[in-house]
Amino acid sequence: MYLARVVKRVISSHKHEAYIGKTVFVVQPITPQGESMGEQSVALDYVGSGIGDTVVCGGAPGVAQKIFDLKLAPIRTLIVAIVDNVDFKDI
Amino acid sequence: MKLGKIFGVVWASRKVEEMKGCRLHIVQPVSDSGAKNGTPLVVADPYNIGSVGDTVVYVTSTDAADAFENGRAPVNASIVQLVDEVA
Repeated sequence: MYLARVVKRVISSHKHEAYIGKTVFVVQPITPQGESMGEQSVALDYVGSGIGDTVVCGGAPGVAQKIFDLKLAPIRTLIVAIVDNVDFKDI
Repeated sequence: MKLGKIFGVVWASRKVEEMKGCRLHIVQPVSDSGAKNGTPLVVADPYNIGSVGDTVVYVTSTDAADAFENGRAPVNASIVQLVDEVA
């Protein structure tokens, strides 16, 4: 999983039925220090996050199928936690 | 499965239901000698066995959900072992 900042919301009128009623965001991966790192990606919100939040993105093949109880769920990345704070020490 | 060293904690009071009570650590993948071996990532700790400074074994991808009792957590990395020593 990785730390990311929620950048923008993806609005779409035509979507796979697994995505109906769900919110999709563009997320920017960040370092523990809060600096942007690597390429942006698209993630489905599963925790109630909003633009500007620092979040944890997770999800793995088959996981969305289980949690949403769907036969087919072409969903890979999920926002699973909203971060309050990050503590770390240099190693 | 991979070796990693915990160097941070992610505090998140709002988590998905399936991950309740589980801590989130920032882990640096390491080699057997302890040298950095890739980019850091956030790893779930379903049994809360690790803390900052510890070396752990973690699983990735679909196996990570199986580390949780419910088997349904939407995670892709979970700590499964606390390492005492790599000999």
